[in-house]
Amino acid sequence: MTDARQAPSSRALIERSLKRRNAAERRFRLYGVLAICVALGFLALLLGRIIQQGHSAFVAHEMSVSVPLDPSRIDRSYPAGANYDLMAAEQVGALLGISPTDEAALTEVREILSPDVGLQLGEQVRDDPALIGQTITIHAPLGDDADQYLKGEINRETLEAQRVLTDRQLDWIDRLEARGVISSALNTGLFTRGDSTQAELAGLLGAIVGSALMLLVTAAVALPIGLLAAVWLEEFAPKGRLTDFIEVNINNLAAVPSIVYGLLGLAVFINTLGLPRASPLVGGLVLALMALPTVIIATRSSLRAVPPSIREAALALGASKTQAVFGHVVPLAMPGVMTGAIIALAHALGETAPLLMIGMISFVPGVAEGFTSAASTLPTQIFIWENAAERAFHERTAAAIIVLLAFMILMNAAAIFLRRRFERRW
Amino acid sequence: MTDNLSHAPAPAVTAASSGRAQNVKIRARGVNVFYGAKQALFDVDMDIPDRTVTAFIGPSGCGKSTFLRCMNRMNDTIVGARVEGAITMDGEDLYAKGLDPVLLRARVGMVFQKPNPFPKSIYENVAYGPRIHGLARTKAEMDHVVETALKKAGLWDEVADRLSHPGTGLSGGQQQRLVIARAIAVRPEVILMDEPCSALDPIATARIEELIDELRRDYCIVIVTHSMAQAARVSQKTAFFHMGRVVEVGDTETIFTNPRDTRTSDYITGRFG
Ligand SMILES: Nc1ncnc2c1ncn2[C@@H]1O[C@H](COP(=O)(O)OP(=O)(O)O)[C@@H](O)[C@H]1O
Ligand SMILES: [Mg+2]
Repeated sequence: MTDARQAPSSRALIERSLKRRNAAERRFRLYGVLAICVALGFLALLLGRIIQQGHSAFVAHEMSVSVPLDPSRIDRSYPAGANYDLMAAEQVGALLGISPTDEAALTEVREILSPDVGLQLGEQVRDDPALIGQTITIHAPLGDDADQYLKGEINRETLEAQRVLTDRQLDWIDRLEARGVISSALNTGLFTRGDSTQAELAGLLGAIVGSALMLLVTAAVALPIGLLAAVWLEEFAPKGRLTDFIEVNINNLAAVPSIVYGLLGLAVFINTLGLPRASPLVGGLVLALMALPTVIIATRSSLRAVPPSIREAALALGASKTQAVFGHVVPLAMPGVMTGAIIALAHALGETAPLLMIGMISFVPGVAEGFTSAASTLPTQIFIWENAAERAFHERTAAAIIVLLAFMILMNAAAIFLRRRFERRW
Repeated sequence: MTDNLSHAPAPAVTAASSGRAQNVKIRARGVNVFYGAKQALFDVDMDIPDRTVTAFIGPSGCGKSTFLRCMNRMNDTIVGARVEGAITMDGEDLYAKGLDPVLLRARVGMVFQKPNPFPKSIYENVAYGPRIHGLARTKAEMDHVVETALKKAGLWDEVADRLSHPGTGLSGGQQQRLVIARAIAVRPEVILMDEPCSALDPIATARIEELIDELRRDYCIVIVTHSMAQAARVSQKTAFFHMGRVVEVGDTETIFTNPRDTRTSDYITGRFG
């Protein structure tokens, strides 16, 4: 009876508190959703701005010019000495009704062409002197300023003195485009050329190859060392002061600012060991030092996640400690190890500061030939281009960021795929 | 092999063998085990006969597993664990300096409470032990070893057509028999079982008990169990542990019908534990 009398009142109490609790729960959910929205908003802003700036770099305008290789103007014993740029400019000038004697106008015509026209002509003649006397057609990128104008980045309304192109240059470009001499195409040069001082000829191949070589070094050094160090610490090391000390310091190393690793690399690898500056080898070694703590920490946690029953099973069958660890525990931990390693490498891919310290700030034309030649990498290329004056380089900077992000997203996707694919339930 | 399997468990053997004079397989004298500063076993003396099932019973935490793990030196793998006293197998000191625990564990197999097959194929689970010990030189030999072990463990008929399937995909009872097959494949002399049925349903349990009864023809078996009924069903010898001490060891029949110590009778009649 007493119970029956008390029941409604306690029920009412609970209902009242329930209302409060439900309200609190709704509030916290709302905060959570808001926080996510803010984070996604920032991300969208960042990506949107980069894509908006950089997407135009993936197409470029190119021009086709037919140039008669006048034998009287090319010295057969020294074909490289001929002024191919002028010969091309004259042909373009002819299309526009400019007299070959109007030198001032021809100089302006040359400004809207890329020096690549002359380079291509020179190369073809060098490779095949029989071409002299014939007319050959060249497809070459348009000069970067003309390209920017056609992409709408240079405005006719701006005062002529404040523009890189003169009024008549703009007219010529319009006329050439109308005649179909200039066309727009996918900018394959962005991926097939190395860096160049000419914006329209600057590509990312050198940086991509440099980054790839560097990551190879990083992976080859950091993965085996990290794996072995983690296995030893986790499975073999006697637990005690020393291992605690090592553990604390590995965690500390993971928090050391990356520029410090750059200074270390400069002092040890370049100054003491005499390894070549700005090379993928040194860059890779520095990044390996940086990646090591991450690899070790990730490996240890995935080793710890392997249930002890697996170790016991192997040991009880008479497997030695090493057989149990390398035959059973490490293979089971491998998906986690690989996930951690890929994330560490993706992180290393974007690292800039330590690379600047070891000399990767300098201009490197072309593509690195090996691990010891000077190279640029994606992040340092971005840094270098960002500091260039030409407008066309800004577009390319954003494009390089897009490429870097694409590689990172690919690597992270690979990590997620590995985790999903090999995830185990015990 | 197959005629072994077709045998029904023979409860009559329990009584018959208890009277038989058996040679001692494992002899323990004055065994003390410490985990760090904590002593888990006190002065344990015990003779474990060959080709017999010996059951360890007692309330949880009384040191049954600890003593079991002394016999294949699995305690060595626990940091801070220390074993004192003498344990011999066929007169050979298991804790002698020159004795390699790896060799010992090949001679003394172990089955754990929770089935722990490797996340590999059924075949690979059984073949692992023979492979690391070099017990089979050719593929054909290995096939034979695997088949024999699976037959002895009474699992062959159920898995013969899916040896390449993962061992972890089997039912709990099948996994436990797979683990037994894996232990048998190394051709041990002793099989230690630590509560092998506590994670299984009654039918799977009955199947394992049947198997234990068959295996005792060839092996010295020690089984830890928290089920008195199981001890009574499968064992011929029983040891009762209490707070790190062996209170009473004897023929299972005697322990269950006529225990000497009041603690034993209290435990058996369910007054504590
Ligand atoms: N790895 C270990 N570290 C520390 N103490 C342990 C460890 N294993 C067991 N013990 C202790 O030793 C005693 C006996 O344990 P155990 O042999 O597992 O008992 P049982 O198997 O009879 O339940 C218990 O008090 C337990 O807490
Ligand atoms: Mg136990």
